[in-house]
Amino acid sequence: MKKKNIVVIGAGPAGLTAADEAVKQNMAPLVLERADKVGGIARTESYKGCYFDVGGHRFFTKFEKIATLWQDLMGEDFLKVPRQSSIYFNNRFYNYPLRPLNALFNLGIRESCMVMFSFAGSKIRPFPKEETFEEWVSNRFGQRLYKIFFKTYTEKVWGIPCKQIRADWAAQRIKGLSLTTTIYNALFGFQHSKTLIDEFDYPIKGPGMMWERLLETTKEGGGKVSLNSEVISLNHENGRITDATYTHQGKRYKIAVEHLVSSAPITALVTMLKPQAPKEVIEASRGLSYRAFIIVIFIIDKPSLFSEQWIYIHSPNVRVGRIQNFKNWSAAMVPDSNLTSVGMEYFCSEGDDLWTMPETELVGLAARELAELGLAETDDIADEFVLRQPKAYPVYNQNYLNCLGIIQEFIAGFKNLQTIGRNGMHRYNNMDHSMLTGMMAIQNITGCDHNLWLVNEEEEYLEDEKNKKKLQQLIPERLLIGLFGRMDKLGFATAIGTISALYVFIATLWMSIKSIPPGIPNLTFLGEYFAGYTMTVNGAFIAFPYTFFYGFLLGWMFAYIRNFIITLYLFYVRKKSEFLSIKDFMEFFR
Amino acid sequence: MNHKNNIVETDKDKLFRGVLLLNSGILGLSLGILFGLVIFIATNWLVIKGGDHVGSHLRLLGQFFIGYKVTFLGSFIGFAYGFAAGTLSGALIAWIYNKFVEFRN
Repeated sequence: MKKKNIVVIGAGPAGLTAADEAVKQNMAPLVLERADKVGGIARTESYKGCYFDVGGHRFFTKFEKIATLWQDLMGEDFLKVPRQSSIYFNNRFYNYPLRPLNALFNLGIRESCMVMFSFAGSKIRPFPKEETFEEWVSNRFGQRLYKIFFKTYTEKVWGIPCKQIRADWAAQRIKGLSLTTTIYNALFGFQHSKTLIDEFDYPIKGPGMMWERLLETTKEGGGKVSLNSEVISLNHENGRITDATYTHQGKRYKIAVEHLVSSAPITALVTMLKPQAPKEVIEASRGLSYRAFIIVIFIIDKPSLFSEQWIYIHSPNVRVGRIQNFKNWSAAMVPDSNLTSVGMEYFCSEGDDLWTMPETELVGLAARELAELGLAETDDIADEFVLRQPKAYPVYNQNYLNCLGIIQEFIAGFKNLQTIGRNGMHRYNNMDHSMLTGMMAIQNITGCDHNLWLVNEEEEYLEDEKNKKKLQQLIPERLLIGLFGRMDKLGFATAIGTISALYVFIATLWMSIKSIPPGIPNLTFLGEYFAGYTMTVNGAFIAFPYTFFYGFLLGWMFAYIRNFIITLYLFYVRKKSEFLSIKDFMEFFR
Repeated sequence: MNHKNNIVETDKDKLFRGVLLLNSGILGLSLGILFGLVIFIATNWLVIKGGDHVGSHLRLLGQFFIGYKVTFLGSFIGFAYGFAAGTLSGALIAWIYNKFVEFRN
């Protein structure tokens, strides 16, 4: 049987998974990678025997296929790592995920009170219009919490003031669960963050090990991976990519394409096409942008610096955004247990002052900041190394959805072209999402009909709905609404008032017509509470309005307190859910 | 993403605008058991405690619940009466409440 001529652009997680899947499906893929090593933006670099994970990648997935693939590839070389991370702010280290006692201790009683007041203030006097990220977060968590835990880090990551980030963007990224799902989750103890996992897997010498193994399986299966091969043009005709031209070691090569799977940045893909893409598509690709980052790596002559795998730096006094301690991911990341390697990560944009800063200045800046944070002394630095990673994070700016939509529509017009991976789809795909898109793209070639754009898009929503359906079988929604619905105060008060009044009325009438022997308890004590009450027919009529009034009051208070407690509970679970989702949002940059 | 926002809105509507309706059967049964148990326990508590005038106040119930006495046997009779009165009260409360809610909405 003739093998399909499949070309994959990029040897990152998505491209290599596509190649691996292709050989499993008896195809012969050719992977063209511009860089000199595999792994793309999830690669592992090495220097003097130390390994450095570009960005810090945790291996955690809910996709069974991907989990199995990881396990098959790594076997014994997959470590279980308990997560340890913290936030540095105002000379203090806060546990991350936040723990109430630790946060209280670090903030101090005064600041904690201020946080509470600020939170209350945001409820009493919220920003009338939620136009910016700052207003959106402040209205939900208060100005003080916003400044401590959101402002600086978000600004470092995006490189623009939070006042310039649109609120609808934040609302879109921080998708709240439906209220009933939130309650179901709270009732059944499923209320947890999507990303704040306690434990993750990690290859003993960094993610690069996995990409190397995928490279081996691809080659063993008859596929080819060509490094230092940059695709420069893609010819197309009648809605099909016909051939690809790439350069390798200074020479140009042209190959026929039956199917093209691209993990190259979608903006670059558009410019590769010949004939050129329509003007509006080119314009749309210009509307998409990326954030880059620089890692200044220090090899420190000390066996240990701190216990965390990474620390988020929220302090505005320093420019570093996150610090990785590679040894804490896996001890095998350093060749000597007396050494420690740290990565000072600076978020930037290609061409800005950080990006263009000479290496010596970058090293100087990072060394100063490392010392300023009290993590290591400049004298302890044994060696250093600078890594620049362009196009690390696709930017979700105001127009990205429109721009991406135009490109998506254009690409959909090609019968033999699929885009995969984080940059290939301009989406915050984690490794597992990216790998799944690669796998699915190949399955589409074999006749499946997967919509790759739904990976990581509907996943959370579908998962919530799936959980919700399961739980609905245990507690129908009708019952849930019955439990948490508002109790009509007036209705309940009237019912209690009426029934109590009737009881006392009938009891008094009954006692008044019965002859009561002396010494037997009777209802005359009611006269102490109801002025004018006697155990007579008249007394029964006097008791009726009194009892109704007291019963009414009691019923109204009961309903009021019940509603109040339910509202407090709903507020609590809602806030907790919002807080968890906003934490997930902060974790996008990993 | 609109479809999801719509779902969030609908859920909110259901919970925040929805008014609780009482199930007369369940409320009746609950109050019936509660009343019955209160009388049963209160009676036996006094019986076990003993003294010269056992249940001088609780005896009042005997005026309404024919056959009830502050004795061990009486506690069972009291339970039956309490259960009946509680069930009736609960069912009536729920019925009046639901009618009221229905009328107001």
